[in-house]
Amino acid sequence: MTTNAGTTTSDQEILKVTGLSASYGEAKVLFDIEVSVKPGQIVACVGRNGAGKTSLLRSISGFLNPTAGSVFANNKNLVGMKPYDIAKFGVRYVPQDKKVFYDLTVRENLELASYATNDHNWDRVFEYFPKLKQHMDRKAGFMSGGERQMLMIGRATLGSPKVLLIDEPTEGLAPGIVTHLRNVFKELAKKTALLIIEQNLPLVCAIADRVYAIKDGRVVAEFSDKDSITFDACEQYL
Amino acid sequence: MLDTFAWWRGIALMIALLCGLSLVLPLPFMNEVVIFTIYVVGCNFMIGRLGYISFGQPAYLAIGAYSTAFYLFYFGSSPLVGILFGVLGGLIGSLLIGPFFVRLRSDYFAMVNLALAVVVFYLTEKVLVSITQGDNGLWFMTQMTSTPVLDLTIPAQFLVFGIIVTAFVFAFYKYLDGTIYGSCCLATKLNEDKLQFIGYSNFSIRFLGFVIANTTTALAGAMYAVYLGFVSPEMGSPSRAADPIIVTLLGGVGTLFGPVVGAIAYTGMKDVISKLIGNWELFIGFLLVFIMLVADKGIWGTLEPILTRVVSPRSRNTDK
Repeated sequence: MTTNAGTTTSDQEILKVTGLSASYGEAKVLFDIEVSVKPGQIVACVGRNGAGKTSLLRSISGFLNPTAGSVFANNKNLVGMKPYDIAKFGVRYVPQDKKVFYDLTVRENLELASYATNDHNWDRVFEYFPKLKQHMDRKAGFMSGGERQMLMIGRATLGSPKVLLIDEPTEGLAPGIVTHLRNVFKELAKKTALLIIEQNLPLVCAIADRVYAIKDGRVVAEFSDKDSITFDACEQYL
Repeated sequence: MLDTFAWWRGIALMIALLCGLSLVLPLPFMNEVVIFTIYVVGCNFMIGRLGYISFGQPAYLAIGAYSTAFYLFYFGSSPLVGILFGVLGGLIGSLLIGPFFVRLRSDYFAMVNLALAVVVFYLTEKVLVSITQGDNGLWFMTQMTSTPVLDLTIPAQFLVFGIIVTAFVFAFYKYLDGTIYGSCCLATKLNEDKLQFIGYSNFSIRFLGFVIANTTTALAGAMYAVYLGFVSPEMGSPSRAADPIIVTLLGGVGTLFGPVVGAIAYTGMKDVISKLIGNWELFIGFLLVFIMLVADKGIWGTLEPILTRVVSPRSRNTDK
């Protein structure tokens, strides 16, 4: 399916990035990126630090204006839209740094997302992350890194987004929490497509339906069937 | 019922404090404290909730004061209507200026507001001298008529009115703190990018906050105008631009009752120390440096957790 504006999503793709290039001033960081995500899929991007993975998510979520290319979600081109409009449209970015609104309580953090999305049902969030329910009146700044990550992902799931863009969700987390997140991602994917940047290859191999290897701002390899997604295949790009 | 009482408890204590002080301290001093408190509330909201430092508060104070003065000097005689005009002037001014200013980062925002203060000062002193009467100011004390219930032309009754207005202003800001909008304000201060991740426009949040804060400042200007019965360009002088910021820091940035504590402390120091020491500003400067180094949360910001622990020891175990 094509339009004059460029390539749109096919019936089977919830997110399609086509010919995406981006730069920070004079420094080009992304070159002609092609990425697609289908509903119910978990797609992972792997690559070394500085490869352009975070820049890709920032471009999709509207924080970095692409110099060329298109980003279609549900047949709507996101390029040129404000970041908050992209989030409202249902493409949510969960950044890497785990910095929540530390002066707000867990409840207030969730309330903010509820009000923005008009989804006040937190049961699903607590189903994924029961620990949050125990700390509702705790200021987010006093939570552990894992708990903050849970809060950020839980908050992003409110309003049933179409796609979640999650940047290195397991970085610096304890193995037990990583296992928990792995199970949550599998559950989440039943309702929301996930595009995850991750360097934890065992996790990638366990959950990803498709993997893009990114190097120097370019997609250098794509593994689109489960059998080809192996630790050894992905490791050479780290 | 108990919840309602708990919600009002702090405000009731503040009113009791102001009433108690009114019995022992001079009337002009208390009127100054009450108006200065309202003046600082807007500044405190901008610094504490939006993360914006503004050196232009005298401009918004002057807009409120001159809007009131124009009404009372040229058109009418009711101080209450005059105050409404002041608030309206502040609201319109903020609505016109806000869309340009709130796009700026905090440092540029501070400077552009200072520039606005200079512009407003010269407009009132020189450019619009035909209607502002320049340095002579507008005098309308004798033109004001008595108001029913509380006569605002009588200082003692003006103080009662001022305390009531202060209570409503604090109740409004306390209510605001507890709303989603209050959380949005704090969130935009903490991390503006992340607020966009969940679908909020920082511009809208800041613009609304800017309008609310500066309309409050204009209310203080309107009250100054009615209380003094005259306005002059000196009221909005850029040389006083640091005053509300100093009082905000002194009281405790972002705390609800910081402005009233800061206003009492600052006005008190100014009055007492100026009688004892010639260069009192120097003393206050050193005192402020001392407070910032020893208790960077300000007077109320430092005292509040201690008082909370004394009043309800259980709160020590709760997550704050």
